[in-house]
Amino acid sequence: SWYNSCISGFRNPPSPYVILPPVPVKRPKPAKKAKKAVVFFEVEILDAKTKDKLCFLDKVRPPPRVCVHPQWYPARQSIRLDPKGKSLKDEDVLQQLPVGTTATFYFRDLGAQISWVTVFLTEYTGPLIIYLLFYFRVPFIYAPKYDFTTSKHWVVHLACMCHSFHYVKRLLETLFVHRFSHGTMPLRNIFKNCTYYWGFAAWMAYYINHPLYTPPMYGEQQVTIALMIFLFCQIGNFSIHIALRNLRPPGSKTRKIPYPTKNPFTWVFLLVSCPNYTYELGSWLGFTMMTQCLPVAFFTFVGFVQMTVWAKGKHRSYLKEFRDYPTLRSPILPFIL
Amino acid sequence: MAAHAATGAKTATNDVSHKRRKGPGALATVYLVIYNVVMTAGWLVIAVGLVRSYLAKGSYHGLYYSIEKPLKFFQTGAVLEVGIVPSSVVLTGFQVMSRVFLTWAVTHSVREVQNEDSVLLFVVAWTITEIIRYSFYTFSLLNHLPYLIKWARYTLFIVLYPMGVTGELLTIYSALPYVQKTGLYSITLPNKYNFSFDYHTFLILTMISYIPLFPQLYFHMMRQRKKVLGHLEEHSKNE
Repeated sequence: SWYNSCISGFRNPPSPYVILPPVPVKRPKPAKKAKKAVVFFEVEILDAKTKDKLCFLDKVRPPPRVCVHPQWYPARQSIRLDPKGKSLKDEDVLQQLPVGTTATFYFRDLGAQISWVTVFLTEYTGPLIIYLLFYFRVPFIYAPKYDFTTSKHWVVHLACMCHSFHYVKRLLETLFVHRFSHGTMPLRNIFKNCTYYWGFAAWMAYYINHPLYTPPMYGEQQVTIALMIFLFCQIGNFSIHIALRNLRPPGSKTRKIPYPTKNPFTWVFLLVSCPNYTYELGSWLGFTMMTQCLPVAFFTFVGFVQMTVWAKGKHRSYLKEFRDYPTLRSPILPFIL
Repeated sequence: MAAHAATGAKTATNDVSHKRRKGPGALATVYLVIYNVVMTAGWLVIAVGLVRSYLAKGSYHGLYYSIEKPLKFFQTGAVLEVGIVPSSVVLTGFQVMSRVFLTWAVTHSVREVQNEDSVLLFVVAWTITEIIRYSFYTFSLLNHLPYLIKWARYTLFIVLYPMGVTGELLTIYSALPYVQKTGLYSITLPNKYNFSFDYHTFLILTMISYIPLFPQLYFHMMRQRKKVLGHLEEHSKNE
């Protein structure tokens, strides 16, 4: 059988191979009982860079699933029809791809992968804990006489609550709300992302919780308005996340156009493609106003730039994918950006 | 600091593949030639100024003052080439920024270091490098590049780059006590924006950043050298 010829032919592979025994990996398609004559496929896998033939199989019985030589786990493999093209998805079935009966695939190693959930949990837990270290003024941050003291300004306590609430919300959303399109991302991202989140959290927290912190210029008025903005945008952001989740049934990866729902916080979908980013920007503007702290303003600005890049990309892919995409919508800021 | 390495690297790639790349249009070429000629001339003025001053004074101390103005003018003028020369915007931008930083934020701002010999060290390194680099660009644009210039560009950096880096680091180091004493460019707490900046610490961090950056750029230039000059050795063997 083809399985035996594959294994015996490549019993001692000098380099990692993609082997196609019928071992389901991600989402196995239910085996269909063929009633008519079965068409056999020939499959060859080439390395995307060197074009070396990695594996050749004749008499591949559809539907095949891609499995691997142990060290090259599936999330790390990119199989594509064109060396420079996009990766095929786990759900793609050989019969439905635009290949003849001899299919040529190109293999690329994506490098070590890590799951999105792991990355999110790590990058969000950091700021939560780090901010609290500064809030409680643990030793070696400020002068020793301030160790374990608390700030005399009530806005500092409020800021700690808001900051902590924000990251707890993010953690809970990661665990219970979000539905991810991709399971994994490259491993190096976790170092990059954690440096960003943890670094900025420490920088902001240092000043807000500093013994020489100066409360906002316009006092209680300023803080109250800022708090309103912050809470409004937190609820808004959460509403959008729920709305996006409900677009997608559990376990599916379908993409649909998001529309306003009964929840008034989602009505902003009329004007914006990625209102979750809009609300996120609003939250941080509120926090900046609340704390009147320049590092917070920097963090808000950098985050805004990154979210704008993401929003524009998402907006573009919506436009590409859906002919009837609403024309009134802007990527992140109504009518502006 | 990144000066010699960065643009050298990228243009080497262009040398090898210049046949495949489309050159700039006629008007752009004229502009670039003029720019590069002017810059070559400018750095020659600095070189001549240094030599004349040395001969007049009889020593190499305090030569900075004789070329202070053209140095500031032509080094700052290099911001015009970011995004224009055939190197990556990131690399060119970074190197021009670091040069401008040293010229204005260290040497100009901290008067006490202007008499240091370390200043002469990096000024000489920059001057020789830039004269060669801008004439390299000029000749390349006119499709008439003498081998000597190409050789100089990819060989002299071996000495000039470490020389320049040493001069730069010593200059920053000698500026430290004055910056700390005067609190130059620093902001302290408390203030209404709840922000602080310590220029002294910033300078130390800048010095530390040379440790990972310098070897990378240096060995990149080495590899480019093998590619560009090694290629020619092979070519002449085949003839």
